[in-house]
Amino acid sequence: MCGIAGILFKKQGSRAEVGKALIDMLDGCQHRGPDSTGFALYHDAAPGTLRLRFIVGQGAEAELAIQRVKDKLRDFQAEIIEEDRAGVGYRVDVKFHGDVQKFGYELEEAAKVSSVGESLDIIKDVGSAHDVDHTYHVKSFEGTHGLGHVRLATESDVVPEASHPFWATGFADVAIVHNGQITNYYKLRRRFEKRGYKFNTDNDSELIAVYLADKLKQGSSLKDALRDSIADLDGTFSFLVSTKDEIGYAKDRLAVKPMVKFENDDLIAIASEEVSLNRLFPGTALNTSEPPPGTFETWRRSI
Amino acid sequence: MASIDLSRVTVTQANELIRKYGADGEDIEVINPDARHHIGVGLVHKVRLHIRGSAGYFCAGLTDGPRVEVDNNVGWGLADNMLGGSVVVRGNAGAIAGVAIRGADVVVHGNIGSRAGQVMKAGTLCCAGNANFMAGYMMYGGRLVILGNSGEKVGQDMTGGTIYVAGNVNSLGTDAMLIDLPADEADDLRAFLDKYEITFTGTFQKVVNAGKRLRYPRTEPRVRVIPFFQASGDSAYWNAKVQEDIHVKAQIGRYRIRGYGAGRPLPHISDLAFKRDLSNLPPDRDVVNKVNMRTQIGGRFGAKPLDLSMPIMIAAMSYGALSKSTKLAMAIASRLSDTSENTGEGGMSNEQRAEAKQLIYQCLAGRLGWNIHDMQRADGLEIYISQGAKPGLGGQLMAKKVTPEIARIRGIPAGIDLRSPSRHPDVLGADDLVIKVEEFREATGYRKPVSVKLGAGRVRDDIKIAYKDGFDFVELDGMQGSTGAASHEVLEYVGIPTLSAIQEAVDALAEVGGTKEMPLVLMGGIKDGIDAAKALALGARAVAVGTGAIIAGGCIACLQCHVGQCVVGIATQDPEHEKRYNTPVEARNVHRYLECLRWQLASIAHAHGYKDVHEFSRNDLVALTPEAAAITRLPYAPEYRERENARLCAAS
Repeated sequence: MCGIAGILFKKQGSRAEVGKALIDMLDGCQHRGPDSTGFALYHDAAPGTLRLRFIVGQGAEAELAIQRVKDKLRDFQAEIIEEDRAGVGYRVDVKFHGDVQKFGYELEEAAKVSSVGESLDIIKDVGSAHDVDHTYHVKSFEGTHGLGHVRLATESDVVPEASHPFWATGFADVAIVHNGQITNYYKLRRRFEKRGYKFNTDNDSELIAVYLADKLKQGSSLKDALRDSIADLDGTFSFLVSTKDEIGYAKDRLAVKPMVKFENDDLIAIASEEVSLNRLFPGTALNTSEPPPGTFETWRRSI
Repeated sequence: MASIDLSRVTVTQANELIRKYGADGEDIEVINPDARHHIGVGLVHKVRLHIRGSAGYFCAGLTDGPRVEVDNNVGWGLADNMLGGSVVVRGNAGAIAGVAIRGADVVVHGNIGSRAGQVMKAGTLCCAGNANFMAGYMMYGGRLVILGNSGEKVGQDMTGGTIYVAGNVNSLGTDAMLIDLPADEADDLRAFLDKYEITFTGTFQKVVNAGKRLRYPRTEPRVRVIPFFQASGDSAYWNAKVQEDIHVKAQIGRYRIRGYGAGRPLPHISDLAFKRDLSNLPPDRDVVNKVNMRTQIGGRFGAKPLDLSMPIMIAAMSYGALSKSTKLAMAIASRLSDTSENTGEGGMSNEQRAEAKQLIYQCLAGRLGWNIHDMQRADGLEIYISQGAKPGLGGQLMAKKVTPEIARIRGIPAGIDLRSPSRHPDVLGADDLVIKVEEFREATGYRKPVSVKLGAGRVRDDIKIAYKDGFDFVELDGMQGSTGAASHEVLEYVGIPTLSAIQEAVDALAEVGGTKEMPLVLMGGIKDGIDAAKALALGARAVAVGTGAIIAGGCIACLQCHVGQCVVGIATQDPEHEKRYNTPVEARNVHRYLECLRWQLASIAHAHGYKDVHEFSRNDLVALTPEAAAITRLPYAPEYRERENARLCAAS
């Protein structure tokens, strides 16, 4: 129950105002989800570094969580380059060469992991787009592409860790925002768990991310993974997925959840409602389109 | 021409201005619309409204008469429920364009999204581009003209109306078929396209309903009447009702439809008792003047609240399920007792409006009888999501009751077994519902309370959603509620008991901190003032009575409501049967019943030493059964049972 947004700038390299664009788009559809807001932001990173983002809470509880994280980093011989705290979040950039999946699963035992990736950083918390920006300074973020989400909690609590976007647990740099419900969630989740995959939440959106990341790991293109997802996932969905270099969407065959896209030479922007897209171009009537049911598409950054 | 700049004023301010200019007969342009929702909703004047850019959801929704032009795209629900006038969109339209229109011309030059024309009843929806998935879904009448391709499943579950497709018919929906196009219809279509200056030289294919699913193959046989009270006897296994049910199924070969609710014993409010000994209350005819019972409900967001002389309302029952005479008696009784009446699904009649002092107007998924004019003359608006007797399912009105008059009001073909849709076309999630509620508020200038009726199902989550989606109050309906027609299995086995519903709802509101803000109106098996008092103690702000009210007005509870030949003239549209119903007499009876509830409620409050009926709290109650104790977390105190029996005798 929510609003989603995604944007990819085609020309500006890693200097595009992704943070500002997503805040505007999410503010435009905040009515769809007043409880919490989140961003998946992609920047250009130095090779061999990983950005880790945790939800640690506040006060003494946070100090303990961060200490546990640091112990894990030592165990994995991950060298801390830079760290930062804001709100309930803790970000640490590390030098790491090893199995990211194992690393990611182990880190979850130390603290709630929001994201792991060379480029990806997922910032999410309760409150509006402007609230989250106020705490985490999303507006100043420059990068290539990103996703955003506003959430109206229906079945789970209003807490930062239940907010979107979701990281594909164990798979670096894959993130998702999703509007809808996956009805064969448990069936698919059990299949993945039999293969040794772990899930950090009971949220169906995390499953979509893992589903796609698993396909990518097996050598599928993002486009093929999206094509398969429409056949394999039951329920209602409009979702956006992003990797280090691409964003894409898929829409269910019943067309229950809204989605509108706009593309020009500079950017591709997709959102639940046109009102979000129009926030990027105030006063201009846009040539948008609504993706038909059962369709998918991807866009790749050029630089 | 007046000009409104949406980069300078809010949509709400713009709509107030649009209506004001409309009333003055002045044409209007809107600049910088930037795809904002609800532009032009609630406009009932024949003026021109030119939107210079894109509009969002429900553009020109809930209107009658204006000529609207949109230079670019529109979002979901274009021209929602429009009665007359026209809308021309130069770009694309999102999903459910032309939803529930009842007479307007709606023209989209680009493509239209999924489920275009869903539950439309009259008028023309024309798309110069391609349509999409399930165009004409559940349409009841009117024309859907598609110059491009139809998309998959065109005409899915359509009941009436016609779909014309010039491009490819990608696939036909269930019970839709292709037939030849008569020449005169082709001429009519040309005239329409000429009128809107659309150049087109192709030919059309015609899609109509195939008529295979409009009626059940067999109807329920006449049976020897076993009254509800006898049917709901002690044995849940083999009793007269079970035997009868098997006989009926053996004849019709499907689930059986009947009236009323669950007959099976379920935990209920009567499984609670007041701690205070009420068995020796002295008779006090003046007690109703010693306790404040006046209850206002619906002012959470500044709308004019309902102002009830006591926290007891009449529950929603439709004109259609019930006869006009019965609805009129309910309206009169509600006025005499200074409380509220509710239209139910079947629209509002002038007589009912005139008699009821306070009238809630109910909006259901089929939008049967729904329109802006009746919204404007209602005292409250209610979005029905489901009801306790059959949560998650649509209504059933069997052919015998779908008379030409009922069909006209509802905008459907006469003589079908009407199975109302169970889902709103434009509410597929809590996020859509926010936008729907806002549409109602915008269309009525934020002056009327907007409530939601929830059949008890996933109560805890649903109540939280209702709170977040900004409803003024909730009508919460438990499994003991009744209906005019539903399948026997659903009535008996689907739902959540009223007692569980109120407890879960109260807990959910406490969790989100909304207890004081969003009142609950409890219904579903509330039969007397004692039940009402207990409901208030559990946390309801008010209760509503439906079954009790029709029994007071002469119902004999024979369960044959669906048949349409009600022997007392209540659940019928047949004049021969309806004439047995004496409206003035029955209105007095219902009124006396309501006054009896008032007296009981006041007596119990007074005996507790309360000056206000809302001083009841759960500390006043104990549970008489382990089940009721488990549901409510009240202390299990079976020793109160004897006293409860004595009290009931005294109170009666």
